[in-house]
Amino acid sequence: MDAQLLLSGVIFGLSVGSIYFLMAIGLSLCFGLMRVISLDQLLYYSFGAYVTYSLSLASGSLWLGLLGGVIVAGLISFAVERFVFRRIYERELTFSMITSFGILIGGIGVIKAVWGVVPRPVPVPTLAQVDVLGTGVPVYRLAIVAIAILVYAGIWLFLNRTITGKAIRAGIEDVEHVEGLGINVSRLFTLTFIIAGTLSGLAGALHAPLIMVDPHMGLEVLAFAFMVVIIGGLGSIKGTLVSALIVGQVVSLGSLIYAPLAQMAPFAIMMLILLVKPTGLYGSPLLKK
Amino acid sequence: MARALHWWWGILLAFTLVALSRLVLPLPFITEVLIFSIYTIGCSFLLGRVGFISFGQPAYLAAGAYGTAFYLFYFGSNPYIGVLMGVLSGLAVSGLVGPLFVRLRSDYFALVNLALAVIIFYLMQKVLAGITKGDNGLWFLTNIASTPVLDIASPNGFFVFALIAAVAVWALYKYLDDTLFGACCLATKTNEDKLEFLGYSNYAIRLAAFIIANTTTALAGALYAVYLGFVSPEITSPARAADPVVVTILGGTGTLYGPLVGAVVYTGMKDVISKLIGNWELFIGFLLVFIMLAGEKGIWGTLQPRLARLLFRHRGSAGTTRDERPTR
Amino acid sequence: MPASAAPAPDSALVSVRGLNTAYGESKVLFDVALRVSDAQIVACVGRNGAGKTTLLKSIAGFLKPQSGSIVFNGASLVGRKPYDVARMGLKYVPQDKRVFSDLTVRENLELGSYATRDYDWGRVIDYFPKLKQLMDRKAGYLSGGERQMLMIGRALLGRPKVLLIDEPTEGLAPSIVSHLKSVFGEIGKSSALIIVEQNLPLVCAIADKIYALKEGRIVAELAGREAMRPDVCEGFL
Repeated sequence: MDAQLLLSGVIFGLSVGSIYFLMAIGLSLCFGLMRVISLDQLLYYSFGAYVTYSLSLASGSLWLGLLGGVIVAGLISFAVERFVFRRIYERELTFSMITSFGILIGGIGVIKAVWGVVPRPVPVPTLAQVDVLGTGVPVYRLAIVAIAILVYAGIWLFLNRTITGKAIRAGIEDVEHVEGLGINVSRLFTLTFIIAGTLSGLAGALHAPLIMVDPHMGLEVLAFAFMVVIIGGLGSIKGTLVSALIVGQVVSLGSLIYAPLAQMAPFAIMMLILLVKPTGLYGSPLLKK
Repeated sequence: MARALHWWWGILLAFTLVALSRLVLPLPFITEVLIFSIYTIGCSFLLGRVGFISFGQPAYLAAGAYGTAFYLFYFGSNPYIGVLMGVLSGLAVSGLVGPLFVRLRSDYFALVNLALAVIIFYLMQKVLAGITKGDNGLWFLTNIASTPVLDIASPNGFFVFALIAAVAVWALYKYLDDTLFGACCLATKTNEDKLEFLGYSNYAIRLAAFIIANTTTALAGALYAVYLGFVSPEITSPARAADPVVVTILGGTGTLYGPLVGAVVYTGMKDVISKLIGNWELFIGFLLVFIMLAGEKGIWGTLQPRLARLLFRHRGSAGTTRDERPTR
Repeated sequence: MPASAAPAPDSALVSVRGLNTAYGESKVLFDVALRVSDAQIVACVGRNGAGKTTLLKSIAGFLKPQSGSIVFNGASLVGRKPYDVARMGLKYVPQDKRVFSDLTVRENLELGSYATRDYDWGRVIDYFPKLKQLMDRKAGYLSGGERQMLMIGRALLGRPKVLLIDEPTEGLAPSIVSHLKSVFGEIGKSSALIIVEQNLPLVCAIADKIYALKEGRIVAELAGREAMRPDVCEGFL
């Protein structure tokens, strides 16, 4: 395989990995702090994509559409947190799984009602390519990677340099204890949930130009997003990053080698890792619930 | 004799009702309900008794369906053997992945099953398209030979066969519930440590339950295959992962007849709702959320204790039947 | 240490009456009552499983009691969220010396200050000078004794009126235990303490009043030098 192909494969993998990363942080945070499985994050992903589609078509600017998509996703996640999740934090994991699954399915219905079932293409903001080491690399894909890096830096700063972030990290370890210090954990939960929803929306918004938006897009990405999270280990941001990188590269470079197997490779990797570490690479051996 | 009747009366009653409904309801509807309920009972058992939800039941459904399909398309024409092949395929797949899957925590378990369903979907659709004919599917309706005594190649004959299969499955699960194994399953859900201290292996119990549940699901797949005479990857698409979950919750997790009640209501609603509003997902998604927030008992789960009190009140006993959902 | 005079019923800082708490189906506390006054050190002793932690958790709001009343400074605590209770000035220091291991000592204290807006760490360092050197160490690397000091020090932020401390000396070396003993004595001059302990000699030395808890019930309330001796306590358990 020649170097040019390899390079574009790597960039492609990085961009795909970035999308998975943005999706996976939300899932990981929700689990780490609130001990819920938030399958509805895939809904905010879908809404992020669809609103981006509509807004960019209406306004002619993808970036405006993106902004709209992210904001709408955040708002919807706030509503869901307020009306549903707030009641179910205490319950066992299967409860939140089933309930959030219901929200996801119901939300897909809403999308169908509003936008119809036909898949729609979203215009890419720029078809420009940049010359990297002799290969033409799409600028948009590089932009995605850049955004993901910014987000990671932002999250890192938030969790390590702000008091709220530290409270969240403490909460991931021991929520009761944080509460005992007088910190309002309800608000912490809400904030974390909104952050997760917004990031999922961003993932959807960024992904939209690369694929067509269709009502079931959330379900299609669900398995992959969770494979990333499981490989990295639920609850670990670093694990999510590493895992997203790996999966992105495997899918991309794998498809250069042998396309059909590339999609299945992450599954095989996940199985292998779970065999050795049943909680994922960086997952903590948490209380079974 | 009386004791045998006492044990069997629930099952006999339920399925006699189903058989009688043949007089008022269309045959395709009831056959679909029967197969669907067999599909669901495995999921319900896993969730209600062992405490694991799987979002990947289509994987095992497909294992059964394709197992049967391959046999009937490439090898033979006897539908009974076809069904057997389907069941064996299910046994093989669940036996293969089971040892790894059941070690996982409940959330990972749910999702690896989903991943498996996605993989199998992909396998059947693209990778093995050579033998599965991809999205076109395998057509073998004409291959199915008529069978003596009970011709399951015919709709009526098949209905009887499905009915018998369902009765057998229900008898199996009721039996399991009554045995030590059933009690152990419940125990793994509520108090693992105690069970280990007593000398039982949580892992072994979970694995056995997993294999039984998913082989049952494969049986449903095999039945679908023979019934439709056709199998395509659609049967295992991720969009269908919701079906058994919804029916389980709708009917009442862990209750013996929940899957049957749920299947009836779900299939019935689907026809009606689709004609009325046309947006099925909207309805079913929010219904699921509603049921969960309202106590997650489901239809049969709510009705059953009340019926039991009504029926057994005059006997003076507390009337808790085996079917009551255990307290968390 | 002089035993404080028996308080009149309405001047109690914390008053628990008829408290019944259960974990799911199994009942743990049966009709528990206790009273703590300002600047009083009250100890609760009992065997493992007697319900001591359940009692503290019920008071602090982590467990919802089935029935009974918990009044703190005139306000009822039943049904309040734990962070609400903590802000009112009643803080719970759990057992097992759990600190936030991924955060440094400094950050642990920051969290304590954040909710209470009390940034006067000087007080905390006065009680536990060792913490000053450990500021930038990750709490996960502290020894058991150091963790306990961090937990108590952190709970002191905000000048709580009541501290509920759960088995502080468990597993600690005698030198640290005696340090804690003097710290409790000092804290007890301005805040009320409810200490759950299995270390009888310790509590007999510093407490103004001892409640003995057996199988979820208060079986004795001891006050005065004569009554508060380890062998006497033992007899009730």
